[in-house]
Amino acid sequence: MNVVFAVKQYISKMIEDSGPGMKVLLMDKETTGIVSMVYTQSEILQKEVYLFERIDSQNREIMKHLKAICFLRPTKENVDYLIQELRRPKYSIYFIYFSNVISKSDVKSLAEADEQEVVAEVQEFYGDYIAVNPHLFSLNILGCCQGRNWDPVQLSRTTQGLTALLLSLKKCPMIRYQLSSEAAKRLAECVKQVITKEYELFEFRRTEVPPLLLILDRCDDAITPLLNQWTYQAMVHELLGINNNRIDLSRVPGISKDLREVVLSAENDEFYANNMYLNFAEIGSNIKNLMEDFQKKKPKEQQKLESIADMKAFVENYPQFKKMSGTVSKHVTVVGELSRLVSERNLLEVSEVEQELACQNDHSSALQNVKRLLQNPKVTEFDAARLVMLYALHYERHSSNSLPGLMMDLRNKGVSEKYRKLVSAVVEYGGKRVRGSDLFSPKDAVAITKQFLKGLKGVENVYTQHQPFLHETLDHLIKGKLKENLYPYLGPSTLRDRPQDIIVFIIGGATYEEALTVYNLNRTTPGVRIVLGGTTVHNTKRQRTRQRHKQREKQAPYEEPDRGLNLRTPGSLPEPEADTQPLSHPGVPPLEF
Amino acid sequence: MASLDDPGEVREGFLCPLCLKNLQSFYQLQSHYEEEHSGEDRDVKGQIKSLVQKAKKAKNRLLKREGDDRVESGTQGYESFSYGGVDPYMWEPQELGAVRSHLSDFKKHRAARIDHYVVEVNKLIIRLEKLTAFDRTNTESAKIRAIEKSVVPWVNDQDVPFCPDCGNKFSIRNRRHHCRLCGSIMCKKCMELISLPFANKLTSASKDSLSTHTSPSQSPNSVHGSRRGSISSVSSVSSVLDEKDDDRIRCCTHCKDTLLKREQQIDEKEHTPDIVKLYEKLRLCMEKVDQKAPEYIKMAASLNAGETTYSLEHAGDLRVEVQKVYELIDALSKKILTLGLNQDPPPHPNTLRLQKMIRYSATLFVQEKLLGLMSLPTREQFEELKKKRKQEMERKRILERQAVLESQRRLEERRSDLASHAANGEVVSLRGGPAPLRKAEGWLPLSGSQGQSEDSDPLLQQIHNITSFIRQAKAAGRTDEVRTLQENLRQLQDEYDQQQTEKAIELSRRQAEEEDLQREQLQMLCEREWEREREQFRAVSLHTRTRSLDFREIRPFQLEPGREPRTHLACALDLGFSSVQSSTAVETPSPLSALEPVSVWSGPPALGQESFPQSTVLQQNELASLNPFDEEDASSPTAEGTSSPPAAEPSFGPSARSLKEYNPFEEEEEAVAGNPFANPDSPAPNPFDEEDEHPHQRPSSPPVPGNPFEEATCTNPFEMDSDSGPEGEEPIEEELLLQQIDNIKAYIFDAKQCGRLDEVEVLTENLRELKRTLAKQKGGTD
Repeated sequence: MNVVFAVKQYISKMIEDSGPGMKVLLMDKETTGIVSMVYTQSEILQKEVYLFERIDSQNREIMKHLKAICFLRPTKENVDYLIQELRRPKYSIYFIYFSNVISKSDVKSLAEADEQEVVAEVQEFYGDYIAVNPHLFSLNILGCCQGRNWDPVQLSRTTQGLTALLLSLKKCPMIRYQLSSEAAKRLAECVKQVITKEYELFEFRRTEVPPLLLILDRCDDAITPLLNQWTYQAMVHELLGINNNRIDLSRVPGISKDLREVVLSAENDEFYANNMYLNFAEIGSNIKNLMEDFQKKKPKEQQKLESIADMKAFVENYPQFKKMSGTVSKHVTVVGELSRLVSERNLLEVSEVEQELACQNDHSSALQNVKRLLQNPKVTEFDAARLVMLYALHYERHSSNSLPGLMMDLRNKGVSEKYRKLVSAVVEYGGKRVRGSDLFSPKDAVAITKQFLKGLKGVENVYTQHQPFLHETLDHLIKGKLKENLYPYLGPSTLRDRPQDIIVFIIGGATYEEALTVYNLNRTTPGVRIVLGGTTVHNTKRQRTRQRHKQREKQAPYEEPDRGLNLRTPGSLPEPEADTQPLSHPGVPPLEF
Repeated sequence: MASLDDPGEVREGFLCPLCLKNLQSFYQLQSHYEEEHSGEDRDVKGQIKSLVQKAKKAKNRLLKREGDDRVESGTQGYESFSYGGVDPYMWEPQELGAVRSHLSDFKKHRAARIDHYVVEVNKLIIRLEKLTAFDRTNTESAKIRAIEKSVVPWVNDQDVPFCPDCGNKFSIRNRRHHCRLCGSIMCKKCMELISLPFANKLTSASKDSLSTHTSPSQSPNSVHGSRRGSISSVSSVSSVLDEKDDDRIRCCTHCKDTLLKREQQIDEKEHTPDIVKLYEKLRLCMEKVDQKAPEYIKMAASLNAGETTYSLEHAGDLRVEVQKVYELIDALSKKILTLGLNQDPPPHPNTLRLQKMIRYSATLFVQEKLLGLMSLPTREQFEELKKKRKQEMERKRILERQAVLESQRRLEERRSDLASHAANGEVVSLRGGPAPLRKAEGWLPLSGSQGQSEDSDPLLQQIHNITSFIRQAKAAGRTDEVRTLQENLRQLQDEYDQQQTEKAIELSRRQAEEEDLQREQLQMLCEREWEREREQFRAVSLHTRTRSLDFREIRPFQLEPGREPRTHLACALDLGFSSVQSSTAVETPSPLSALEPVSVWSGPPALGQESFPQSTVLQQNELASLNPFDEEDASSPTAEGTSSPPAAEPSFGPSARSLKEYNPFEEEEEAVAGNPFANPDSPAPNPFDEEDEHPHQRPSSPPVPGNPFEEATCTNPFEMDSDSGPEGEEPIEEELLLQQIDNIKAYIFDAKQCGRLDEVEVLTENLRELKRTLAKQKGGTD
């Protein structure tokens, strides 16, 4: 149940099967992203894969001394491109892998195009999703729904992604879905349909307790994506934006050229792997340690290398040192930028109020705090709108709801029209009317007592009070207490035991806060393995974009669309210099292609 | 405890768990196991592995539980930790996800298509061959035309009014032309020409690859024809000028296309670009490095450790060799990088990128591997290392020797043990029961000073030794040694602490046991001295441990309920400690064995020192009491006790135990195994039997049938206590009970912590019973 590993295994298998020799990896836009999440360039180079090409790129040269590994989604365009490619093959031999089920007729037309017999392999390898963390995957779909209903194109893509995930993990699950969401039901049905249709594929060794697929809808918990997060990964995503493990730092003032875009990948960055789930304060101290460590190792420039032993030690440590320096400068930059943004946007204070809005039920103090912050010039219009959104969601039906007043405040603050419209959009999206369950007021005695106790004890960390709703849902699910009237099974059979392997999919996207929750649940509940997925991984901006989609607003999207992972041009790669001696060659920072 | 039910053969020592071969020492067992059984049944392997691991990492609490409960029961409490914080990275080994191949389908469709294509191409080439097979220049054009027409039937002129390619109408001006390869018609503009050299190239190349398609009779012709053709093409330049195209063959664009494709294929097949050649060389070098580097690293590591397996010169040569390969890799990759840079036009950007990437990966490779090459020691350093190593080896050898010695001794003991069984008629099945006399041999060499062993705990001695070692090592500046020693020391100290508590329990228990024994001995005498017997009987009747069948019926049972749970507990304790001890024993086999000769078992059989063997007998009694059946014959323990002291009490017999501890359970089994036999055999547990036994064990004290009791009473210091009668026993029992209660409480707590509810239940039950017994006893004494 490690999605990163699952995809990586597929890729490794492809490369292995093609045998020795120089290779080129032919991909499409989506598979490029999929591969780049699990393999770094240096890693894949060691397997003799030297070139990475897009199947749709026109100026590919004929290189008959290369073997081509094609990893493509089975779309119509890709098949057409491939047919053209095979008619006039540019490489000596082709190993073709589709990331999902391909139709027999497509196979036939490909076969007929292969007049020169260059194809050596045609297979389906189900790596059809973006593996973000071992237990978190995404499909990178924005705006998957039109209003409350699926966009049919996205529905089929989501179904494909989800079935591919099941196949890659070799799970044939029972399906539960959130009753209050029509979209969840539709998706569940589609997945079931595929499982029935491709029953041969889904014949795996039976486990004692069948795995479970739980399909949820974001609108049940619109709060979580609106909150500021304080764990490293979540913060970076919220404030800087992570796109397939890449972070764009070009907007950072005074950034040096080689740090414009950095890669954060837990696969090969130890510091990141160790710290991605820690909160900001801890990161601060860890990065300090990292720095100190680095300082210690740093060869002192003034210090003369007096003996041969000194020189040898220096040379031997140098690449390591160089690599470390890459890591250090990267994280220092990222953390520095984060803390700059935090203070610039007054995020600590904002976050405190956000948490209060999300977790407590004191209307008057909440209102007061929101109003106070709206007056604060440091709070960006975006954050201000967000606070009002949270307020609107929480106190939607409160007797002394003063949303109109806050809207006025927003206007006075000069918050633009589009942000103000978002407030009502959010309420429409995730308001009480839509929610299947109550986010704010505890339902049962246990929860009430819990909250009461919490109130007594005080809160350890005001910035991390909020527990995503998903936590409760999963907790109930693990204990076998998740109500069947809210989350029914699809089909007649039900699970009698407690589930062990759980796949949660959130239509409308998961958040890193939820990923953290799942991570912690995995750690603390032995025997239970949870994988979280979403149509995308959210931050507040994306959430907003999506909500706008729902509204079908005509205005141009504020958010630039998800940039595809463009293959880097040769120039942008750290190029090995022809004349450098290997010994003194700088170490290799983890690279991406 | 499956073994309890198994009365079969019981052996101990360094037995291989798979083939039961008896090995001399732990080291030998380990190497034997690695040689013989690696790759055998994984379950068994898991067991031994866990045993070995346990031995290696003393009390490593995170060890996974593998194999059998007996081995692990003592450490169960820790296991739940290992399943705690499950990291997603540590989930179950994941196999490759589902895949589905379409290759067979694909091939089926392709074959249908390809056959058609191949047939087309071959047809064209065969015709081309025919067309070039004769001397075109010296043949009249009419004749040529006739031949050409015979190769392929020409399409009728009247059937084609327009050029099928460009659509122009044919007329006098726009004349029809026939494709000589397929016979179709086109206009002059759309007509293509095939030069003879081109035709030759195609036909000669296809001759090999397509020989299956071409009929064999044609191929010699074609060679002949083509040669002539090429000569003629040179000689008849003039014929081109008169527009006759005689040396060229007219064909349509479609045929020409097909032929061009074919030509391309032929070219590619023959041509290997430079980059491929260089790249192949590069890969070859990398493979070489992959082969040689580990070899070198092994050598260097060995040399740096001061071993003399490899010669320094050889290693140095290898290093130079590997480094040369690196240089070659560097040079080759640089060459690849600069390939074609000076050409005009410059190579395609993709080609350049490919070259860059190859160079880059080669650099990575060199960096990664070259830096892994550790340096070699200089000659002087090497000498020094060698010296160090020698010392080290010396020490190890001593350890080994001690271990061997120990195991031998154990073997003997074991034999004597068996003999005693045999004498009792109990374990006849075992090794045919050696004669009792042999036991004497087994015992004699062991005689040593017994006093030492009793007053100084070998663990303490060991601790002292290690502290002094550490001091020496520190002085010598061997830090890593100091570290290992300190580790050992720590473990020993842990061990010692544990033993102290254990010993306290054991001591009180032993005292009780001793009294039992005394009483039993008395009973034996009773047989003969009937008058005395009554006195003794009274004492005995209070006692649960008397096993002679005669007394069993008369034995009061009131203590029984209290005892049972306690024995369970004792059992649990023993298991726990013994497994732990086994680990330390492996860690420091030598120290224990070094001390061994001085230890308990060596007691010279002089009458005055008889107390000692007795105490072991008592221990054995105790051991026997571990048996849930609680039915051991009192006489057999005396025999066993000498050779198998309870593992739980290493302070007394560390030597014998240090061996046995590898197999702490054998002992148990033994006790158990003995019992089933004991029962049927003991119907007449003639006190004489037992008496006879004693002499066997202590050969130097010849059977004195008349007065073992006397001997016991007058020489054994313990005897005095027991002589004081059954009254003395009660307080001890009570103390013991209290201790047990405390222990059980601790166990319950532990079990609760680890969530083993069933265990908690059992333990609570035991506790309750113990308390009841205690109350009863108190009532009794009061």
